[in-house]
Amino acid sequence: MYIGDFKEAYASDQAVFVNTTSRFWLGVLFVLLLIFPFVAGDYFLFMANLAGIAIIGAVGLNILTGFAGQISLGHAAFIGVGGYTAAILATRFNLPFLLCLPLSGFMAAFFGIIVGGPSLRLKGLYLCIATLAAQLILEFVFVHWESVTGGIRGINVSSPEIFGFVLDNDFKFYFLTLVMVIICVTAARNLFRTRVGRAFIAIRDRDISAELMGINLMQYKLYAFGISSFFAGISGCLWVNFLKTVTPEHFPLMESVRYLAMIIVGGMGSILGSIFGAIFMTIVPEMIKTILGLLVNIFPTAMSFLFPLQQVIFGLLIVGFLIFEPHGLAEIWYRIKNYFHLWPFDH
Amino acid sequence: MDIFLQLIVSGFLVGGIYALIALGFVLIYKATNIINFATGEFMMIGAYIFYSLMVYLKLSPFIGVPLVIICAALLGVLVERLILRHMLGQPNISIIMVTIGLSSILLGVAEVIWGSEFRSFPPLFPRKPIIIGEIVLRSNLFYGFLLALVVVAVFMLLFKYAKIGVAMRATANDQMAAFSMGINVKTMFTISWAFGAIAASLGGIIIANIGGVQPTLGHIGLKIFPIVILGGLDSIIGAVVGGFIVGIVENLAGGYLDPIFHGGVKDLAPFVVLILILLIKPYGLFGTKEIERL
Amino acid sequence: MKKSIVLTMALFLSLLLSTGGVSFAEDVIKIGAGQPITGRFAFAGKHIHAGLMDSLGYANEQGGVDGKKFKYIYEDTGYDLKRAIASFKKLMAKDSPVMMYGESTGVGKAMAPEINSRYHVVYGSTSFSEELSDRSKNPYIFVSGPTYAQQFGVLLKYIANQPKKNNKPHRVAFFYSDTEFGRDPIPFARKLAKKLGIEVVAEEVTKVGAVDITSQLLDLKRNKPDYCIFQGYVVPPIPEVIRGAKDFGLDITFMGTFWAMSKMLLGKLGPDAEGYMGVSPYSYWYMDDVPMIQAMHAYTKKHHPDVEYRPNSYMQGWFTGMIYVKLAKMCHEAGLAITGENLKNMIPKIKDWDTGGLNGVVSFDKSNATGTGKVYKAENGKFVAVSDWINLDE
Repeated sequence: MYIGDFKEAYASDQAVFVNTTSRFWLGVLFVLLLIFPFVAGDYFLFMANLAGIAIIGAVGLNILTGFAGQISLGHAAFIGVGGYTAAILATRFNLPFLLCLPLSGFMAAFFGIIVGGPSLRLKGLYLCIATLAAQLILEFVFVHWESVTGGIRGINVSSPEIFGFVLDNDFKFYFLTLVMVIICVTAARNLFRTRVGRAFIAIRDRDISAELMGINLMQYKLYAFGISSFFAGISGCLWVNFLKTVTPEHFPLMESVRYLAMIIVGGMGSILGSIFGAIFMTIVPEMIKTILGLLVNIFPTAMSFLFPLQQVIFGLLIVGFLIFEPHGLAEIWYRIKNYFHLWPFDH
Repeated sequence: MDIFLQLIVSGFLVGGIYALIALGFVLIYKATNIINFATGEFMMIGAYIFYSLMVYLKLSPFIGVPLVIICAALLGVLVERLILRHMLGQPNISIIMVTIGLSSILLGVAEVIWGSEFRSFPPLFPRKPIIIGEIVLRSNLFYGFLLALVVVAVFMLLFKYAKIGVAMRATANDQMAAFSMGINVKTMFTISWAFGAIAASLGGIIIANIGGVQPTLGHIGLKIFPIVILGGLDSIIGAVVGGFIVGIVENLAGGYLDPIFHGGVKDLAPFVVLILILLIKPYGLFGTKEIERL
Repeated sequence: MKKSIVLTMALFLSLLLSTGGVSFAEDVIKIGAGQPITGRFAFAGKHIHAGLMDSLGYANEQGGVDGKKFKYIYEDTGYDLKRAIASFKKLMAKDSPVMMYGESTGVGKAMAPEINSRYHVVYGSTSFSEELSDRSKNPYIFVSGPTYAQQFGVLLKYIANQPKKNNKPHRVAFFYSDTEFGRDPIPFARKLAKKLGIEVVAEEVTKVGAVDITSQLLDLKRNKPDYCIFQGYVVPPIPEVIRGAKDFGLDITFMGTFWAMSKMLLGKLGPDAEGYMGVSPYSYWYMDDVPMIQAMHAYTKKHHPDVEYRPNSYMQGWFTGMIYVKLAKMCHEAGLAITGENLKNMIPKIKDWDTGGLNGVVSFDKSNATGTGKVYKAENGKFVAVSDWINLDE
């Protein structure tokens, strides 16, 4: 039980992990994450990697949409830009992986800033539709700019190599993903202790008032697009190196929708929410599929009825969370945490 | 030259049909300020219901169409009551995401009920094309266009002269004033969703008659965004004009640019137009400018 | 009292579970599959799944391989790449099948490196992609018939053999979808057409299920092809294009590759189906004189009595099953254990194998595809063969 709130310095006030207990549990989590690949099977390693890559993408989207309030339906396209950049740099220019990674981020950020450019004139719904158009245009470019992107065949890359270690299976790749997730999540969390992060939140809440306070809207909106797309680019680079192939069919509009679903279900405006949402939207569809698969084994004739239910459940999850728990899983987590903080008292 | 003319005429016809679907979007936005990402899915469900009525119950289209209107209205009412009611007052993104979630639900439901196979419609219109000089008007397109025009005209007359139409316009214009005039705003919301669903469903029937129906028919719904942005999110005339323009632009792009790029430009062109409009005139040709008040 | 009940139950359960583990010894040959039973490809996935399952069931009825039965383990992967890969890994980890089936070209490409390095399973799929059948890169992967490129080749060769009009080269248009499926054979087709002296006068590209194809029809009108080959479509927008061409007064013979050669398409075309042609690797369900088809009829009557018709996607599943069974039998005959590695080595050894009329007499010696197909023409709502089995192995 945690009684009282004694802060003696500004630093401790701003701290993310306020007391020894939470730092202890963080340490335990870290140890578990390190042990996980040694005990988990192939399938779970694969899912873990997928979830990790999704976390980075979701954090990026949350920065733009959850914290800065700019709705984006083009996130998958930016991930695609990062992915293609990584593939092209690796195959065409033979750059080492550690160089491809940040370059993919910067390339995606560059595109993000271009798409975000008109955002000063456009607000809310109009911006959302503009990002939709950007998504579709980039999809077109992925397919048709064959000389660069390899067209519909895409590009095959070989396993990434870091300091002589070749990451050619899910086990080894897991550690890369883990490190990248920790870096990205820490960076994002720290972003919102800085001026830039606070400016984003101000813009989301009331952009005209933010402008009155001296925040240059254009500049900070572009930062938001740029930073968010940088994360997307990193996620894309990891994705391509994980699957060892990239084709235009990896980045459809549905993927952008999936990322939006992640941050909504997880909790907008919360880094922890991005993590929860990404894990949830990666693991839960698989679980539903497994359960439905079991049901089909019992009732084989219901196959055509049960299998398409997955799509319905996906939609119901989104709608359900929006109606009943608009602040997402993060909010549920905070409630549980507070319960334990105050236990055995009620309030 | 006559290829150019043919492209324009066909584009005009298909644009009229798009206009009907865009109307389904505008009707909802005008009254409730909600962007309905599930318009395409409404279209698809309407087409499937009509298909079932025609093929399984073997009803004639003259009974089928009114039944679809009733079913669509029910769907709109259900969606508004069960889902959108709870979202009043929530931030924009939540409402947008709810309609996106709704589109997933409708897509899944369609797959569960009707399966994901492609179904072709029993022909509604005579097969022979209408030929005027060198211009060929394919019958599905032509009669579909006429039907769409009729429905759009009915809606426009409804809005101008019928009591309900005036009440809806009043609600769209100024909710507070409408309340004080005794208009039940909540009912107006429900009715506007019903109307939106009806328009989209009828548009769906026409489109499915041309190309058949699959659960993914709803993706055509994405095309309405260029149309309504071009025309103005809350303007009925805008939806019609926007529909025509997008239909023509699409066809011209397809006819002249597709051979150069090996395809794909036709579907992309409306979105390039969209971006241009957003940069130059974001509120569209006929939309009302949003004035943000603090 | 309560404690002892719990203990007994625990003991009982653990005995139950352990016996469950023991019985699955070496007397089954496991085939794993990720089928697109839902999603974009479900119209075919359902039937492919049924075909593969029935084919293995049929083989079991025939005695399996030296008494060992085939066990078919499947999951629905919904034509979603991530799910398909996850499913692949899960099946490999849980059941260690020796042969796998995948739902798309994408999965094959994504899993190819790991199949080569770690998994060592023979892999078949719904895909007829050229890239996957390259033995030097993907020795474990095979195609259940001719690749799309080979199918195009069959059609182009057929066209080249037709009498010329006014001694001018044949004019052909390609009409394909804006997907990997649609674009896969096109570069090869362009080259082959040039070699055969056929003029490719137009290329039309649409999204699957496009609504208005007026601009594409006008382009066809402008360029006046004699033949138009579809690739990457199953039904829409083929009926639209064919009817539209008639409306515009164009005289074109339309042709399709495998997925566009279903009887269902002819049903949708109605009277406009007459004269539609194409290439298919397999015989059709209604060809009662084909031995393998007769076997299918018998099996279906016994196990699925209320099924009246099986489409060409079912044939794909069944034929793939036949290939799995053939490879297993060949391993056994050579006295080798049935492992993925040994099975893979058998693929090139399949030569002049009589498939009972399903895909003619096939060989995998030159590539991991059979390269065999027949040209069919639609007459009175059914496809009839207008050629014998044509082999096109590059």
